[in-house]
Amino acid sequence: MARTARFGARLDVVIFGACVLLSLISMVLPTNLRDPVAGTLRRSLVAPLMRLQLGAEQWRAAYMRSERVELSRDTVALAAARVPTLETENDRLRKLLGFGSKLQWGFIPAEALQGRGRAEDFTVTLSAGSRAGVRERSLVVAPEGVVGVVQTVDPTMSLAILFAHPDFRVSAMSADASAVGIVQPHVTTSSPTSEPAFLRSERYLLEMRGVPFRATLKPGAVVYSSGLGGIYPKGIPVGVVLAEIKTPESWARTYLLRPAVNPAELTSVMILTPQRTAAGLVNVWANVGPVDSATRSIVAAGDSLARQSATKEAEARRAVIDSAARLIVDSLRRDTSATPRPAELPPLDSAGRARAVRDSIAAARVRRVRRDSVAAARAKDSVRRDTVPGVRP
Amino acid sequence: MNWGATVRTVLLCAVLIFLHYTLRPLLAWRASPDFLIIALLLASVRVRPGVAAMLGFIIGLASDSLALSAFGAGALAMTLIGFSWSRLKAVFFADSALLNGFFLFLGKWAYEILMNLVERRTHGAELMMQIFVWSSLSAAVTAVAGVLALMMLRPVLETRGT
Repeated sequence: MARTARFGARLDVVIFGACVLLSLISMVLPTNLRDPVAGTLRRSLVAPLMRLQLGAEQWRAAYMRSERVELSRDTVALAAARVPTLETENDRLRKLLGFGSKLQWGFIPAEALQGRGRAEDFTVTLSAGSRAGVRERSLVVAPEGVVGVVQTVDPTMSLAILFAHPDFRVSAMSADASAVGIVQPHVTTSSPTSEPAFLRSERYLLEMRGVPFRATLKPGAVVYSSGLGGIYPKGIPVGVVLAEIKTPESWARTYLLRPAVNPAELTSVMILTPQRTAAGLVNVWANVGPVDSATRSIVAAGDSLARQSATKEAEARRAVIDSAARLIVDSLRRDTSATPRPAELPPLDSAGRARAVRDSIAAARVRRVRRDSVAAARAKDSVRRDTVPGVRP
Repeated sequence: MNWGATVRTVLLCAVLIFLHYTLRPLLAWRASPDFLIIALLLASVRVRPGVAAMLGFIIGLASDSLALSAFGAGALAMTLIGFSWSRLKAVFFADSALLNGFFLFLGKWAYEILMNLVERRTHGAELMMQIFVWSSLSAAVTAVAGVLALMMLRPVLETRGT
C-alpha cells in the first residue's frame, strides 16, 4: 500500500516535471515549430471554444448596436419633443423683441418665474429688482397686454401681482371708447352651473363692470385700459370680450373678458419705469387687435382718398388760374405798347396772378363797354340821312 | 473519486470553460473573471497532483494557442497552479469559501504575473500598474466569481462521498 502510494507520488512528480519541461520547451520553441503546434490546437481543441467566443462577441456587438440605435432614437424623439417648446419660446422672444423696439425706452426686461403653490396663483416673481430700476407700483406688461403691477421690490428680484389678483382693478374702454367700465377678476359664482360650460373651463377670467346700458360690446371686441385712475396708462390691451353676463345691476352691463395675457404661458415680461408710464403708451399696441387695426386701416384708406381728391381739386384750380393769368398777360401785352416784353415781366406770384385776373376782368369790361359804344356810334353813322324822315340829302 | 463524482466534476468544468468563452466576451470587463482558473481549482482538489498538473498544462496550452507571444507561459503557470492546489488540498483545503477564495486570488494573480513577465509587453511603471492594479483586480474578481460558483455548486459537489 505504501509502495503504491510512493509510486503514485513519484508518478505525480514525474508528470508534473514533464508538464513543466514541455511548457518550457514550448516557450523556447522557434516560430516555425511553434506555429504548427498552436495551429493544430486552434483547429482541434480550441476550435469549438473559439466558435463560442465568436458567437458571444457577435451577441455583444448586436446588443451594443441595438443600444446605440435605441439611444439615437431616444435622442431624436427627445429633440422632436422639444421642437414645439422651442418654437413657442422663439415666437415669444421675437414678440418681445418687437415689443421692446416699439416701447423704445423706459422698460426693464425680466424673466417671470411662476410659483407652483396654490397661494402663488395671483403673483409672479420677476428676475429684476431695484438695482435694475424697478420701483413699487411699476407696471408689468407683455407683448399681448397688461400683466400686473409690481408690489414688492428687492435688490435683485421683485414680486408682482397678476391681473387675476382679487385686488386688481383697471379702468377700461372699448377700442372706439364708446363703452367704459372697470375691469376686475372674475370670481366664480356660488352656483357655477348657471354659467355656460365654456366659461367654467376658463381660468383667470376678467369681468368688465359698470358699462353703460346703452353701450354694447360684441364678443371678440378688444378692451383697452382707459388711462383713468393713474396707474395704467391709456391703450394697453386688457382682454377680449367673451360674452355678457347677467348681474343684479340692471342699470349697467357686465361683460366677461378673456385676458390678453395667459399667465400660464408667461415667461418674459417688460417692467415699465414710471417715466415711461407717464409718457403714455397709446401707440405701442397700435396693431394689437385685429378689429382695431382693420378699423384704423379703413380710416387711413378713407383719409388718403380724401387727401388725394383734395390734391387733385387744388391742382385743377391752380391750372385754371394759371391759364387765365397767362391769357390776361398776353391780352395786356397786345393791347398796350407800353407793356413790357415778357422777358421784362416780373414773375407773378399767386397774389399777383389774382390781381392780374381782377385787372384783366376790369379791363375786359372797359373794352367791351368801349366796343359797344363804338358799335352804337357806327350804327348811328351807317343810317342814310335821306332815309331819315324830315332830313334831305 | 468514483465515476459519478468524476462525471459531475467534468461536467462542471465544462460549464465553467463554456462560461469562460461566452460570458467573458459578453461582459467585456477590463478585469473580468477567469473561469478557466476556477475550473482548474475545482478539478485539482479532486484529482491527483499529477493529473492536476496535466490538466493545467492542457488548459494552459489551449489558451496559449490564441496568444502566440507567450506560448507555453500559460501552460507553465497552469501546471504550477494545478499541481500546487492538488498538493495543498490535504494541508489547507478545508471546506471554507474564504480559503478557496484566497487560493483562487493567489493562483490567478500568480498566473497574471507570470504572463505579464513572459509576454514582456509592458515595462517599468506600466508593468507595476498592470501587476498591482489590473492583475490584482482581475484576481479579486476571479476569486469572488469562484467563491460564488463553489457556493452554488456545493449541493452537486458534496455527493462525491456517496
